[in-house]
Amino acid sequence: MTTVRRVLIGAGGLVMAYAVIGALTDADLKGGAYVFLVAVLVAHDAVLLPLTLAAGALIGRFVPVRSRTPVRAALLIGLAVTVVATPLVLGRGRVADNPSILPLDYGRGLLEIYAAIGLGTGLAWAVRRIRARPTGSRRRRSGGSRGTSC
Amino acid sequence: MVRDAGRLIRHVHSWMSRPLPPPPAALRRGPLRRGAFDTRARSPRLTSLLGAALGVAFLICFVTGLLSHLIQHPPAWFGWPSRPVGLYRVTQGVHVATGLASVPLLGAKLWSVYPRLFSWPPVRDPAHAIERASIAALVAAALFQLISGILNIARWYEPMPFFFTAGHYWSAWLAIGALLAHIGVQLPIIRTALTRPSPEHAPAGALTRRGLLGAVGVAAGLITVATAGQTVAPLAPVSVLAPRRPRTGPQQLPVNKTAGGAGVRDAIFDPAYRLALTGPGRTESLSLADLAALPQHTVVLPISCVEGWSATATWTGVRLRDLIARAGLDPEGAEAYVESLEARGRYRATTVPPPHARDPYTLLALRLGGQPLHPDHGYPARLIAPNRPGVLQTKWVGRITVRRAS
Repeated sequence: MTTVRRVLIGAGGLVMAYAVIGALTDADLKGGAYVFLVAVLVAHDAVLLPLTLAAGALIGRFVPVRSRTPVRAALLIGLAVTVVATPLVLGRGRVADNPSILPLDYGRGLLEIYAAIGLGTGLAWAVRRIRARPTGSRRRRSGGSRGTSC
Repeated sequence: MVRDAGRLIRHVHSWMSRPLPPPPAALRRGPLRRGAFDTRARSPRLTSLLGAALGVAFLICFVTGLLSHLIQHPPAWFGWPSRPVGLYRVTQGVHVATGLASVPLLGAKLWSVYPRLFSWPPVRDPAHAIERASIAALVAAALFQLISGILNIARWYEPMPFFFTAGHYWSAWLAIGALLAHIGVQLPIIRTALTRPSPEHAPAGALTRRGLLGAVGVAAGLITVATAGQTVAPLAPVSVLAPRRPRTGPQQLPVNKTAGGAGVRDAIFDPAYRLALTGPGRTESLSLADLAALPQHTVVLPISCVEGWSATATWTGVRLRDLIARAGLDPEGAEAYVESLEARGRYRATTVPPPHARDPYTLLALRLGGQPLHPDHGYPARLIAPNRPGVLQTKWVGRITVRRAS
């Protein structure tokens, strides 16, 4: 193991220890924070990600193969926006005497973004199909060679 | 002694890498089965690219977040300037925007390594067990950071059974420590993945590496445009998910805590209101009319909230340095302890450090946009200083204590 790796692992361990000791001695932090720490891990690894994988499997089953990629991309983008938007849409943070908090109709905003995602991926898909159509000397490149340069 | 230490290290090392007995093969079911996941669309290169981007994003969030913490709870060695006036607006805007843009990055990163959660055997040796535990800490802390941050800017606190600031702060240290250790463990894999070409194996209909990275980038960009209007005013019309609008609120300015919420409505409208100005050895009581009779100055300064929103406004009032001089101290070496009329609350009082106390832009403001302050903006008088978090811009000021800076 190189010195760089030893230093990174050692420093990381010390910083983690600082975090644990700091959290345990912080009077503002009660047990709820540890519950939340475990809850977000379980909610992601045991609920959200399996549901996402299941959605991906359904796409593989029911969506024709040539439109699968844009559907996957659109749903991925939509899911990320939804995670950010959900607490805003639910609007539980609103306060009766303070209309400057969450002043917008976020449900409508989220629908507008979904529409933009659908439109954008649809356009990208159409452009790709037109470009990929074999015309004269320009032959369609294989999908495998495209991803290596990134 | 040195030889003993060397022996101890070798002993610990050999114990840590001693293989543990494998669990019975009958337990290898469901996602633990060989080939339970189609891994063709995943690759160390994809994971490394996402991880590198996420590492940069988390570093930006950590540095800007730590800065915000230090400004609010300054240790003796820390100093924060009063100029440029909008620096905190930028650092905290970047903190929130980077955190939000990390959502698709973290999601994709965790998807790319999800099959490893079910690797068999679950633990090979004690060192492997420690590594897996630190991965769990990293994932949990990273999710804690992003989810608590999102809940905070939406001001939804019921799902968080703790004081947000403290939880967000300590889980940030946990995340950054676990991230350092993780980079240390994975460094050879990262190096190989980022330097050697790696062929694309994604099956037809799956997102290729480039396709996935593109989609993640689009998602991050979309989230940024949809929210950044809360601090970048020209983006406000397209920021349909901005938790605030820079021009929405009483006197076209957003509010965090209202006069009603702070329980000061009676105190601020009391005709007997006097500002207590205390210097070394004397206290003066100033009515609102007394304050308005002092030389008035107008400044254009932003309110920059820790939640990432900000808005520029025009403030008029008395310079804090004039009040410091009136209390009998040289404004060049003084600080001021500013207290609100609020009976309680975490931010009812703040210390204005010397750089801000002597800055001619720092006002005890009486007017906003030419009009008397709205009650929710701190009527009858509030502090407004350049380059400071909004929570430190004390509203409904009832007492200012001036003292020599230590």
